[in-house]
Amino acid sequence: MSYTAESELVVDNTSTAERLASAVVGLGLVTFVFSLVGVTQVVTAETTILGISLYDFLAGGLLLMGVGTVSLGIGSRTGVFNTSPDATPGAVTAALFGLGAFALAGLVASQSLGLGTVGWLLGATLVGGVTFAGVALAPEDIGSTLPPGVAAIGVAVAILAGIITPAFAWEPEGFSATLTGSMAIPLLLAASTLVTMWGGAKAYEGYGSKGRQTAAYLLVGINAVSIIAVLVALLLFIASKGIGPAFEGFSLVPFEWPFVTNGYSFRPEVVNGVFPAIMGTIWLVIGAVITGVPVAVAAAIFLTEYAEQGRFVGAVEIATNGLWSTPSVVYGLFGYAFLIPRLGGTTSLISGMLVLGFMLMPLCLITSREAIKAVPDEYRDASAALGVSRWETIRSVVLPAAMPGILTGVILGVGRIAGETAPILLVMAGGLRDDAPNVLGSFEFISSPPFVANDALLESAPALPYQLYATITAGVSAENAAAFGWATAFVLLVVVLSFYALGIASRLYFRRRLNA
Amino acid sequence: MTELPLFDLETRLGRLSDVDRDIGSLAAGGAGCLFATFVLFVLNSTLAVIPLIGFLAVTGYGWYAHQAETARALTFLATASTILILGLITVYVFVEALPVLQRMGVRLFGFTEPVEVFGVTLIPSVESYWSTSQHVYSLIPMIWGTFVTTLIATAIAAPLGIAAALFLAEIAPPLVRETVKPGVEILAGIPSIVYGYLGFVVLNTFLYENLEMANLGSLFLVGLVIGLMALPTVVSVADDALTSVPDAMRDGAVAMGLTEWQTMKSITLPAALSGVSAAVLLGIGRAVGETMAATVILGHSQVLPDPLQDVFDNTETLTSLIASQYGNANGLHMNALFTAGVVLFVTVLVLSIAARRIELRMDRKLGGGQ
Repeated sequence: MSYTAESELVVDNTSTAERLASAVVGLGLVTFVFSLVGVTQVVTAETTILGISLYDFLAGGLLLMGVGTVSLGIGSRTGVFNTSPDATPGAVTAALFGLGAFALAGLVASQSLGLGTVGWLLGATLVGGVTFAGVALAPEDIGSTLPPGVAAIGVAVAILAGIITPAFAWEPEGFSATLTGSMAIPLLLAASTLVTMWGGAKAYEGYGSKGRQTAAYLLVGINAVSIIAVLVALLLFIASKGIGPAFEGFSLVPFEWPFVTNGYSFRPEVVNGVFPAIMGTIWLVIGAVITGVPVAVAAAIFLTEYAEQGRFVGAVEIATNGLWSTPSVVYGLFGYAFLIPRLGGTTSLISGMLVLGFMLMPLCLITSREAIKAVPDEYRDASAALGVSRWETIRSVVLPAAMPGILTGVILGVGRIAGETAPILLVMAGGLRDDAPNVLGSFEFISSPPFVANDALLESAPALPYQLYATITAGVSAENAAAFGWATAFVLLVVVLSFYALGIASRLYFRRRLNA
Repeated sequence: MTELPLFDLETRLGRLSDVDRDIGSLAAGGAGCLFATFVLFVLNSTLAVIPLIGFLAVTGYGWYAHQAETARALTFLATASTILILGLITVYVFVEALPVLQRMGVRLFGFTEPVEVFGVTLIPSVESYWSTSQHVYSLIPMIWGTFVTTLIATAIAAPLGIAAALFLAEIAPPLVRETVKPGVEILAGIPSIVYGYLGFVVLNTFLYENLEMANLGSLFLVGLVIGLMALPTVVSVADDALTSVPDAMRDGAVAMGLTEWQTMKSITLPAALSGVSAAVLLGIGRAVGETMAATVILGHSQVLPDPLQDVFDNTETLTSLIASQYGNANGLHMNALFTAGVVLFVTVLVLSIAARRIELRMDRKLGGGQ
């Protein structure tokens, strides 16, 4: 009789604890999201929810979370909830809580109580040390719920009681910035919520190694989601600012898209556009692909098909990695010192093409080499068994098989160089212009060496990333300049990210086909 | 002429026939022409085009008559060109920096106070850090700026990036992973000038108003933006390192009764540590070399922040120094900018070699264990 009854009781109690813990975590997620948005000042103290000001509302949530977490811990210790805690929460947890207590106590002592350096240091060390020792010696359920719970209650009370208000200002000594209340409150709320949620998640699984796993997964998951949310928000922000001006005067029938088909004319009645910059970027990419890609693919063939691992290959690998990681501005300096004096003496389109080609070369070399390596040896063996010579095998078996991988590398590399600004800055320049570079129409034969001349290649041309930079240096305060900049940024983003999306999609496609 | 040994394989048959002699002279002619082109181009002579035509003619005939050998020689040339380009970059950046290196000596890293150890002056003082009128150039403020921004960026990108990679590689369900991973890789492609524009137009004023800063632009903001920029790269590379840990290692741990989180902490992460640290080093390299965000956000003053730890002050980084001053620089001033390039180049090269070493060790360790 007692066995069944007891078992039922246990199930019931566990679910109460679980429900309480889920409530803490759920409340925490909402509070965290609002606090994070609060940091960006999209919502501020003036925002009200259900007639309560935002910060008070969030602090109320945090207070509930704190009380919930503390009761979860005490309930587990007194045996009301059925849990399986370890002996201690572990030294790392204790040390982190100790540090947190040290920081909080230090701030309270120096800012609210106004103690001197010796005073706050002493007080903070004392509080931090006691917290560390207490958590390290306490059983796991108490040690991992009480400190966050108490801290949460403390923070919530401080906000609700008006000890920390939006008018609060802390100017750390030696820094020329002030931590204002409108920044400090959401940050404090977010941090406190995270720690309390961690305690709640631990309690949800009844502590122990499973509890630690759940709590860790929660934090790691929140981190991953936040990162992606921030980056996507950034893209959406740029799109929201840029789409408007970029589609000004847009019509489908008859097709008109002034921002993309016009130049920058400095005339108020015409929509200024980025057509020359788009053409410049296209020419840059074409030039860089012509210079960089054949050399890269040829080198990849030599390294995988002909060369034996040795000192030469080792040196080439070091050189490739060196080139791959050399900062783009150093490429720009190199172009400035080496190419410009030899190619007409001024910043020019062809210097930009060559420098970007040099940058593209190592990117493509590494990916092409991987792609050629990935071709199964059976292909080569089968071809050799048919009596086909080595070069014929490479040309008609290996290269076609590796082509998708090579192309993917080229597309990704092009995406990277199309957005590069620093090298162009030094070797090409070219600001806001009305006319696009006319490369094909400028070829001329002359009687003295080098026999071919092309003025369009030898003068600077605009390019999308540089145009964006030029917008900044020209001053965004000018009328419509900021809108023009956002639209340029949007177009640049679309161009570069489409290259990336295309490259990644093709890689996924061919990888899947290879595995199938 | 150096290409000749390459044809050993073909000559191994021992038939030193006319064909072989033909190939040998072709190789010599092609190499000679190419060498002449290179020398004439370096000497800045338009005559370089004549041996270039010769080279193209030799290659064209070679391709027609002896395709296999020509292809092999051309691929060798392409391979050697990687070393040549790195060599050219090294030589030209160093040569341009030389006048200022000679003029300043160790004072290139000088402070306004002499650096003394036990009364021995190691680095004499400079009158001012960066004076184009007196031609006094010390890189210390810029090195400090680069160091601080890199530190802040790493402090953001490394822990958050590794944690997100852990989520993607180990925790997320396959469907989430397969959609999010390509997304992260696409996000890694956002050009730095776009971040710079965002920082310049929005974030600069935001921080200025909300942190009541004394000036627009700060090392703190640059570090923050670069950290955000480096995040997708770190996530993506660290994820690759984590997924390359063989499943057998994880299975063993789970069979011993460890939870998944314990397996991650004590098996997967340590096994992938070298790959993950290579990812972080890569991110650091990117942060050191990042130019545009720093250039448009910072206010460009070539002094150390006062006090030193004030990351909200406006100074300069090595990259933004070059990008903001090249336009009105000439003579010694321009040479001084090249010294900043030298410091950048050497730093990133060391980082890249370190990352490569670590990666190789990882390959050996994981490959050898199977």
